Amino acid sequence: MITSPLESLSQLSRTLPTGTPTTDVEDGVDPVTETSGRPVAAAVDDVRKTYYLGEPVHALDGVSLTLPAGSFTAVMGPSGSGKSTLLNLFGCLDTPDEGTVEIGGEVASELSEAERARVRGTRIGFVFQGFDLLPRLTAVENVALPMVFHGRQGSDRHDRARGLLERVGLGDRLDHVPTELSGGQRQRVAIARALANDPAILLADEPTGNLDTETGERIMGLFRDLNGEETTILMVTHERHIADHADRIVHLLDGRIEEVEGLDPNERGGRPRPDPEDRVDGSGGGS
Amino acid sequence: MNLRECLRIGWRSITSHKLRSTLTTLGVILGVAAVITFMVLGGGFSQSVVGEIEAEQEPVMTVHTQTDPPDGFGVMLVDTPIYTESDVEALEELEGVEWVAPEGSIGLAQTEYDDERVTGVVEGQATTPDRFEHDEFVDGEPFDWADEAVVSERVNDAFEGNLSAGEELTVTFEDGEERTVTVAGVVDDDLGGQSPPLVYLPVDEHHETTIETPDGDREPVYQSLVVGVESLGDVDPAQDAVTDYLAEESDASELKEDDDEIAVQTIEDAVEQFDDLVGQLTAFIGAVAAIALVVGSIGIANIMIVSVTERTREIGIMKAVGARRRDVMQLFLVESVILGLIGAVVGVLVGLGVGYLGVTLLEWPMVYPIDWIVIAIVVGVGVGVGSGLYPAWRGARVDPIEALRHE
Ligand SMILES: Nc1ncnc2c1ncn2[C@@H]1O[C@H](COP(=O)(O)OP(=O)(O)O)[C@@H](O)[C@H]1O
Ligand SMILES: [Mg+2]
Repeated sequence: MITSPLESLSQLSRTLPTGTPTTDVEDGVDPVTETSGRPVAAAVDDVRKTYYLGEPVHALDGVSLTLPAGSFTAVMGPSGSGKSTLLNLFGCLDTPDEGTVEIGGEVASELSEAERARVRGTRIGFVFQGFDLLPRLTAVENVALPMVFHGRQGSDRHDRARGLLERVGLGDRLDHVPTELSGGQRQRVAIARALANDPAILLADEPTGNLDTETGERIMGLFRDLNGEETTILMVTHERHIADHADRIVHLLDGRIEEVEGLDPNERGGRPRPDPEDRVDGSGGGS
Repeated sequence: MNLRECLRIGWRSITSHKLRSTLTTLGVILGVAAVITFMVLGGGFSQSVVGEIEAEQEPVMTVHTQTDPPDGFGVMLVDTPIYTESDVEALEELEGVEWVAPEGSIGLAQTEYDDERVTGVVEGQATTPDRFEHDEFVDGEPFDWADEAVVSERVNDAFEGNLSAGEELTVTFEDGEERTVTVAGVVDDDLGGQSPPLVYLPVDEHHETTIETPDGDREPVYQSLVVGVESLGDVDPAQDAVTDYLAEESDASELKEDDDEIAVQTIEDAVEQFDDLVGQLTAFIGAVAAIALVVGSIGIANIMIVSVTERTREIGIMKAVGARRRDVMQLFLVESVILGLIGAVVGVLVGLGVGYLGVTLLEWPMVYPIDWIVIAIVVGVGVGVGSGLYPAWRGARVDPIEALRHE
C-alpha cells in the first residue's frame, strides 16, 4: 500500500505526545530515525566531524538523522553548533570523519569524487543563504547551470530553466543578471536552480537569512508547495517562524542533537497546509 | 559539460574584464606581431630582390671588399678602392672572362635637372658601358662618349620627374666643377629598392682616384668590379679563376686590410648571402618573440590564478550544483586558451598591418606568411593551454565547503 505523504505525516505527528510537541530521543519511538514506513530519502548515522585548530572543535559529535521521503525538516541551533556541517554532509559536499551518509540508497563514502558530483547534480538541490548565483550569468543561465553539468541538450535546458523561473514567479526576469534582481528575486532564482535536475532532496542553508520577513514568508510558501509535491526538504534556519513551516525541528547544540520537536502539520507556519492537489501557480509577487 | 557551453561561459568572463584581458594578452600580441611583421618584411624583401634576380639569371659576377661588422651581424661593405687598373687588365685575360667593368665612386655635390637641384641624394659612379650588358634599360642605351650619362631609375624619385634619353642633367663635383651631360639611358638595376639614385658616368672621363701599386707605379684604382662571363656555363670555372687570381696575384690582395675579404659573387651567391642574413635575423626575432611569449604565458597564468582565487566561491557553487573537477578544469582551460588565441589572432593582424605599412613604404610586394600565421595560432593555443594548466588544476581542486565559507 502506498501511503500519501499527508497521511504519513499525520501518522508521524500522532506518534508524538499531543500538547507538548517535544520528544526526547530516549522515548520509545525515535523521531530521529522514524520514517513511519516511508522510504528513506537520506540518512546520516552517528556522523562525527572534528576540526583541529589548536584544540579539537567537534562540529558534529555523533549525529544520526533520517529524512523520510517527502518530509520537511528544519535545523535550528546557535551559531557554530554544526548546522551547516550537517547540511553539507547530506549534500555530499563534505564527508564525515566517522559514521555513514546515505543518499537515495547510495553510501557517500563509497562514491568517487565524480560520482558524488553526479549525486549533487541530480539528486540534490542546494539553496544557500547568499543566494549564490554566478554574477555574470543571466537568471535563465544560472538556472540551467546544473543541467549543463549533467548533459541536457541546449534548447531543452533553456526551456526547462524558463519553466522553472516562471514557476517561481520570475517569468519576466529571465535575462536579468543577479545584480539587476532584488534579494527575494535572487533567492527565487536560486530555488529554481536547485530544482533544475528535479532533485529528490532540497537542502537549504538559511534560505531566508538575508531577506525581510515578508519575502521570507513567500519563499517558505514556495518550499511548502514543493514539499507538497514530494520533495524532501532539509532547511537550516535560526528564525523560529521560518522553522515553523517544517514538520519537525531538529535542535543542534555543540554538534549534537539536543531535541527533536514535532509540529502539527495543520498549523505549520500558522497556516493550514496547502492541498497537495493545489499546484504552484507561480504568481507569488516579487519583492 | 560540452565545449560550446564552456566557450560561452569563458567568453563571458573574459569580456567582463576587458581591460584586464587586453593587458593579459599584450605579451602574446607583441610576440606574435613581431614575428609576423618581420616575416612580412623579410618575405617582401626576398621577393623583391630574389624575384628580380631569379627572373634574370645572368653570366655576371661582382667583385667587392667586405668585412665582418663589429656587432657580428651580416656583412659590411668596405669602400676603400683597392682594385687597380693592372688587376682589371689581368682579370680580362682569364679564361671565360668576357669583360671587366670597374666601378669607382664620384663625389657629387649637387645634381640639377629641369631647373631643380638636389644636394647629396644622388651619387655618382664611374664605370664602362660593359657594366650595363645584362641590365634592363627603361629607356635609351649605355653611354658611349664622354658627355653622356646613364641614370638609374631611382633618380626619378629624387626629382619626382620622369627622365628619358636625350634630356640634360647638370652635375657639380665636390671640387666645384660643373658639367652638363646628356642622359643616354635610364637603367633598371635596382635590387629591392636598396641602392641610392645613381648617375653613371664614363670612367675615362671622370675617374681620377689613383694609388701607388705594390710595383711602385701609380694607377687608377676602383672600389669594386663587375665581371662579365662568356656564357652561363663558364660562370663556375671563371669564378674560381677570378677568386684565385685576386687572392694570390692581384694588387688588391696586397692593398686590402688584413681583416678585409675580397668577395667574388655571382648573383646566386648574393642571394645565398642574403638568405644567411635573413636566417640570422629570423633567429634573432625568434628569440625576441620567444621571450615575449614566455612573458605572455606568465601574464596569462598570473591572471588565471587571480581569477581562480577571485572565483573560489563561484567554483564552490558550481561544484554544489554538480560540477565535476574536470568541468571546472575545462572551464578555466578554455578561458586561458581563448586568451592565448585572441592574443595570437590580434598579434597576427597587428603584424600583418605593420608589415603592410612597411612594405608599402619600401615598395616591396606584400607577402602573407601563411606558415608563420598557422604557427602563431598554434603557439597561441599552446600558450593558453600551458599557462592555464596550473590555475585550472588549482581551480578544480577547490574544496566546495571551503569555497562556500569564503565570503
Ligand atoms: N573548515 C573548517 N575549519 C575549521 N573549523 C570549522 C570549519 N568548518 C566548520 N568549522 C567549525 O565547526 C563548527 C560548526 O560549524 P558550522 O557547521 O558552520 O556551524 P553553523 O552552521 O551551525 O553556524 C564551528 O565551530 C566552526 O567554527
Ligand atoms: Mg552555518
